[in-house]
Amino acid sequence: MTAIVEAVNLKKTYMLGKVPVEALRGVNMKVESGDFLAVLGPSGSGKSTLLNLIGALDKPTEGKLLIEGVDVSTLNDNQLAGLRRRVGFVFQFFNLIPRFTARENVELSMSIADIGRAERRKQAEDLLETVGLKERMNHKPAELSGGEQQRVAIARALANNPRFLLMDEPTGNIDSKTANEIMGLIKRINEEKGVTIIMVTHDQRLATQAKRMVQMFDGVITREIVN
Amino acid sequence: MKSKDVFSYSFSAIRLRKLRAGLTTLGVVIGIAAIVALLSITQGLQDTITLQLQTGFATDTLIVSTGGGFGLGAEGAMGTAGSGFKLFVNDTQTINEIENVSMSIAIIQKVGYVQFGGRNRTVTIVGVDFAKYASIYSSTFVAESGDIPPYPGNMTVVVGKRVSDPWKNETLFCNVNDDVEIKWTNATARPPKNETYTGHVSAVLQEIGGFGVVGPSDSAIYIPISKAESFFGTDECDMVIVKLENDDKATIDSTSKAIRNAFNRQVQVMSATAVLNILSNVFSIIQLFLAGIAAISLLVAGIGIMNIMMVSLMERTREIGILKALGMKSRTVLMVFLGESTIIGLMGAAIGIGSGWVLANVVALVFHGGGVIMGNQAAGTGGITITPVLTPSVFLGALVFGVGVSVIFALYPAWRASKLKPVEALRYE
Repeated sequence: MTAIVEAVNLKKTYMLGKVPVEALRGVNMKVESGDFLAVLGPSGSGKSTLLNLIGALDKPTEGKLLIEGVDVSTLNDNQLAGLRRRVGFVFQFFNLIPRFTARENVELSMSIADIGRAERRKQAEDLLETVGLKERMNHKPAELSGGEQQRVAIARALANNPRFLLMDEPTGNIDSKTANEIMGLIKRINEEKGVTIIMVTHDQRLATQAKRMVQMFDGVITREIVN
Repeated sequence: MKSKDVFSYSFSAIRLRKLRAGLTTLGVVIGIAAIVALLSITQGLQDTITLQLQTGFATDTLIVSTGGGFGLGAEGAMGTAGSGFKLFVNDTQTINEIENVSMSIAIIQKVGYVQFGGRNRTVTIVGVDFAKYASIYSSTFVAESGDIPPYPGNMTVVVGKRVSDPWKNETLFCNVNDDVEIKWTNATARPPKNETYTGHVSAVLQEIGGFGVVGPSDSAIYIPISKAESFFGTDECDMVIVKLENDDKATIDSTSKAIRNAFNRQVQVMSATAVLNILSNVFSIIQLFLAGIAAISLLVAGIGIMNIMMVSLMERTREIGILKALGMKSRTVLMVFLGESTIIGLMGAAIGIGSGWVLANVVALVFHGGGVIMGNQAAGTGGITITPVLTPSVFLGALVFGVGVSVIFALYPAWRASKLKPVEALRYE
């Protein structure tokens, strides 16, 4: 198996006013194609920072981050945007565009990737069917439940056939029953579609459903477990 | 992202806040409407005056006066040289001897009154040689009713259309064969003296339109030059109109020079071309000035757009974060914001041009009505009809200016939006 993501001594320091905060203090990890990795850790352990770096939303302060063999720190603004189009991001608070319907939200990421109207409409409908929301695709986020909104977000993340999905507390804002359904969906996507998944969570129970998990604490990986 | 999709995304953002977008657009509408209305009215006014000048002021005529300008309005001269030099009726003999001059006529004109049936009307009383005047202004010094006698008796009066029919409703003030009282106050006499005589209306002129700057006017009355000399008690004339043998530029220039020299350079000689050029320059300045004032309101609209874009930027920071997380390039974010301002600018300019045009027509209509009323009191104005003119350059200019101002003022907010860091934008509450 080839490594899709490889972090070597990855460091990230933020300035909180004038005080430097070391969010990552030397992370080494490898994620291979088809993997389902859970990053587990308490709040402030640096797991979201790690996810943002892998998703090219931010740049590392030090160390190397290779995505499909390319060092992220060498990419310019446009190339980073290009990389983000090949990554599917799922957020804790869904981050859907409120004025768009479920289908339009899924179409948006495809329209950003220059896909034509007819094709993206068909794909959006297929993806919403995959996540079980075909009947609700013309509803706006405000008319959908938390679980349904997260399904739309997952469908949107899958829209451009991403090499991997990054999930930041995907079940953090929904009830436990719906969370289980979402986890089932995520596992199905990993197993049936072969999409690599990196999921950040502070919930041990959810993390154990991944193929592999790493424990983070204070900006470093403290433990790695294969489930 | 395809430009069509960028545009449709921008449009969806505008539709979300209809009232706010509407008010922002209104700013552009007002600015553009003001520009279009002012420019099309002044253009219309210029065209009207130019046309009047061209009909009343043949290209083969010269106007000789003592003033700094050409004879304009009731007082006869616009700006005076102040040299004390005077032109007299018999100076036409000197002018007639100059090469290329086919004829010349002296004009004496004063503001006075016509009284008939107990009512008074202010008019310009013009003393001319009827036969020669009719031959120079063959298309405008034409009787609608009655006859203009080539050798008139002393009491003969020819009246303009607005003197006979001032209210444009066939309720006549006076008509052919009426005997009217003609009054004039000699203000130079001590004490000022009222002069009066009874004239016999032999003809009513056909309608000329506009105001006779040089040629015949709707609100003037015409009396024989010999009568004018005795009535006004002077043989000093206000201007001499010179008809040339042709309208070549060389003829106009050499004859103008010859006339000036004949009077020791104490007279002003104006040709139609020169007057039209001066007028065109004056109107250019007026247009520039008015457009400048209107442009200020558009500038205010621009600041409104900038303000609204900044607010929008704050509100949509998270949305911009989402777009960037989905892989939208910074340049595309810039285009989304500029697209919004372009749409506002386009809508504002289109509606503004339309409403400006309507406004211009309403103003022209009101002005036209006002002109008729003014005609009761002021001599020299016969109810100006202005047809607003929207030239393609004003249309295109307004469109480009409206969109341009909108886009320029949106540049900074759009740039700020495009420079947002995705991770910070996503964290924005």
